[in-house]
Amino acid sequence: MKIVVCVKQVPDTAEADVKLGSDGRGIEMEGLPLQINESDNYALEESLLIKEDRDGEVTVITLGPESADEVLRMSMAKGADEAVRLADPALEGGDAWAVALALAKAIGGMEYDLVLTGCMASDDGMTQVGVTLAEMLGVPHATYVTEMEIGDGSVTVGRELEGGLVERVEMSLPAVVTIQTGINEPRYASIMGIAKAAKREIHTKSAADLCLDAGEAGEAGSRTKLLKLDYPPAGEGAEILDGTPSEASAKLANVLKEKGFA
Amino acid sequence: MNDVLVLAEHLNGELKDVTFEMLTHARVLADAGGAKVAAVLFGSGVGDLAEKLTAEADEVLVRDHDGFANYNSAVYQPVLADVIRGREPSVVMIGHTAFGVDLAPSLSVALDAPLATDLIDLAVEGTDLVATRQTHGGKVNERVGFGDAAVRLVTVRPAAFAPQAGSRGGSVIALDTDVPQEPAFRRFVEYVEAAAGDVDITKSDVVIAIGRGIKEEENLAMINEFAELLGGVVACSRPVVDAGWLPKDRQVGSSGKTVKPKLYVAIGVSGQFQHVAGMKSAETIVAINKDPKAPIFQAAHFGIVGDLMKVVPALTEKITELRA
Amino acid sequence: MPRVAARGPQAFNTRTGGHMPTLAEKYELLACIQCGRCTAGCPVSLRTPLNVRKLVYEGQIGPGPAGAHERPQAWSCTTCSTCTERCPKGVKPMELLIGLRGKSIERGKALPAVRDALESTFKHGNPWGRSRDKRAEWADELDVPIAGEGEAIPLLYYVGCTPAYDPRVQDVARALVRLLEAAGVTYSTFGTAESCCGNEVKRMGEEGLFELLVEGNRELFAGHDVGSIVTGSPHCMNTFLKEYGEPVGEVVHYSQLLARLLDEGRLEFKGSVEKKVTYHDPCFLGKHNSIFDEPRSVLERIPGVEFEELDRSRERALCCEGGGGRMWVEAEEERGERLADTRVKDAVDLGADVLVTACPFCLLTLEDAVKTSGCEGKIEILDIAELAALAL
Repeated sequence: MKIVVCVKQVPDTAEADVKLGSDGRGIEMEGLPLQINESDNYALEESLLIKEDRDGEVTVITLGPESADEVLRMSMAKGADEAVRLADPALEGGDAWAVALALAKAIGGMEYDLVLTGCMASDDGMTQVGVTLAEMLGVPHATYVTEMEIGDGSVTVGRELEGGLVERVEMSLPAVVTIQTGINEPRYASIMGIAKAAKREIHTKSAADLCLDAGEAGEAGSRTKLLKLDYPPAGEGAEILDGTPSEASAKLANVLKEKGFA
Repeated sequence: MNDVLVLAEHLNGELKDVTFEMLTHARVLADAGGAKVAAVLFGSGVGDLAEKLTAEADEVLVRDHDGFANYNSAVYQPVLADVIRGREPSVVMIGHTAFGVDLAPSLSVALDAPLATDLIDLAVEGTDLVATRQTHGGKVNERVGFGDAAVRLVTVRPAAFAPQAGSRGGSVIALDTDVPQEPAFRRFVEYVEAAAGDVDITKSDVVIAIGRGIKEEENLAMINEFAELLGGVVACSRPVVDAGWLPKDRQVGSSGKTVKPKLYVAIGVSGQFQHVAGMKSAETIVAINKDPKAPIFQAAHFGIVGDLMKVVPALTEKITELRA
Repeated sequence: MPRVAARGPQAFNTRTGGHMPTLAEKYELLACIQCGRCTAGCPVSLRTPLNVRKLVYEGQIGPGPAGAHERPQAWSCTTCSTCTERCPKGVKPMELLIGLRGKSIERGKALPAVRDALESTFKHGNPWGRSRDKRAEWADELDVPIAGEGEAIPLLYYVGCTPAYDPRVQDVARALVRLLEAAGVTYSTFGTAESCCGNEVKRMGEEGLFELLVEGNRELFAGHDVGSIVTGSPHCMNTFLKEYGEPVGEVVHYSQLLARLLDEGRLEFKGSVEKKVTYHDPCFLGKHNSIFDEPRSVLERIPGVEFEELDRSRERALCCEGGGGRMWVEAEEERGERLADTRVKDAVDLGADVLVTACPFCLLTLEDAVKTSGCEGKIEILDIAELAALAL
């Protein structure tokens, strides 16, 4: 079974004060640690579990600058067999369409039974690349998958819908599945393992290698146009009860008492 | 401007809230651009739902067919693509739901049309439409244009727009577009309801919710104690379920449960929209978080910026004192 | 007679064609005479399935387990070092347990909480999942010197991850700063540039990450020409002293510095603390580094303090179960009373008002134990720096 996993390196902004760049089209990356996108990490783990369960081969693929090699090496340390980076400044800065097209050109030239990726990137939140890729490859897809079982030439998945409802879908292979967090327990990649993986080759492909001309790649190849980034306007928001933890808690306790909860 | 098309989403004979929210905003856009609002309804035996939509739209385009008994993007997509090709709307609005996310990107490829997802706003600016969406966990707003596309596809975040009842008195138009057989490559199997647990968080007047900020499973003890003090139940956001610290039936949010308690205390919950969607109707919302920029403070009525490990014990103590 | 496993203790690595040391060779297990002194002294052997002697035996008679994932009890070890200290034949059972954890880490089979702590240390320089730019927040309202780029630091206050981030232990860091100021000590910190020392990382078995931290810290220290170091935790002190290869400078624990400042008359107590006090020896201060007297000498010089020893003190002190990565791991199949609970109850029985310790992990586990042992309101847990600062 040949599995391709699409992964993305993203900045960790969970606890950070995100600052916009001076051109208003990106954020300041300085000081933000980079990591594998959370749901991609679950997708990678799912591919490794399939590989361990039946004979398989896992190829990880990413689109991004050289720093993204870190994510590929981590994936190889965990057990991925091959790594590919779509490495060309011309490919960067694109919308979901442009990213999916580059991935489709690369994956379309490989042998594969299954393509896995995370359901959403934590930075741009687009929730779009996986399905777009499937349609471009001309294979079926399922999104938000929290359970998966490989059959004979098919895969049955559970899609997480609203309200805890799960929709089971059966698809023929090859197919694209976008993975939701929580489907498994991602393993740890040891630093020693990552150092060993650093000695292995990462295959790189340029826009030309993918037969993409200038108008099809990156920003030029995007269907939507990023206009500007802003800070969200400060809404009315909560009444902040200030002071030390003890003072603020005393204020809140009084509020709760007035409302009949304390 | 041409029509604004809204794809109605429904399950078990009920239209989803997001449908009414989209139609409300669609009317604003259509009025601004001198255009019509058309709702598109696919389903099997959905006459009642079509009637409900007549107040909301100028036209209700209905395809009532057995093939739509269950949702399958592989069946919906070619039919919707046909309808769009025939009507050439300026905008097609689809909910940013598990259904919409499965459908919209493949529609975008089939029509070669731009798609902007998870919108919190869409406005006419000059001759173009400009979408606003959020990135980096709600810390950045991104404005997106659609170039010179004739048809623009968008998915709209649930609860981004407040629904208002319409009074359009639209007509129901039955479509006769071909509905393909469910393809062998993607077959609907079944819906599986989540298993019921020991606690029903939707029934409690007080819900104490924890999020990623709880950091360690051990800290649950402190939360349980606090919840007990207020006579509430403990619920959570997604990361707590992913970590296996609470069962799925305690999850509040779009993929979990919707709660409307009298008091909702969000502790160490950042407030991603998926979570807020499940608790925004609570009567009183209190947020405790150490990140003053956490989106949860936008949803809350009262907030404390501080470390939950200090605030929760202090609060427990103060409430105990008040009662004594 | 035990059946000798087919592969025996000598294994040949067929992949590299070279010889891979077996557990028996690597940890010199064949010297073991199975006397059982290790297990008999092990503080967690009564509470968990961990049987140190048996694990050594498995390594003697065969290839032994492939890692801690096959013997999850290896995660119950607190690395208190009692087993290694007690072995009459010089075998190092604690190192074997850490080695088994390491084999699991290499295979990606870290427990989720351990995985998160390690990934956080790699990403943010601390195991608590907190971002680096919040590392100096504990000192926000204080005037704590932070060394500028390349500025020489004759005395470094190495705060440590737990005092920097944990809201309870931040109080200890702040108390220590007040003591240093009162004594007129010139010192500096690294602010947000400080990274984890790696003591716990090494004990979780992540040798590669430990080496990375050592390299980074050595470079940071060298760049500031660091003279001596006072650490905010015995765990940091231990690893700087014993596991960083070449010495990184004179390294002391803050209880040692406080004792010295009192000796030199630089630190004086103007107030008093009228309390009966007893002291819990942290394993990494006491057993590992034989620092027993300095904390006691500080306590005895605080005016008003009535000091009394716990029965099990100094070398015989009971472990709190917070070391060796156990802040992140629940012991396998726990049974009986937690050692920290026993410790707190012993202190209550002694009639102490305050149980003092000198380690962030001990402080947190003991404070937690006050609640779990039902001793709330009966005793207070304080760090030695906090108690001393009360007498300023």
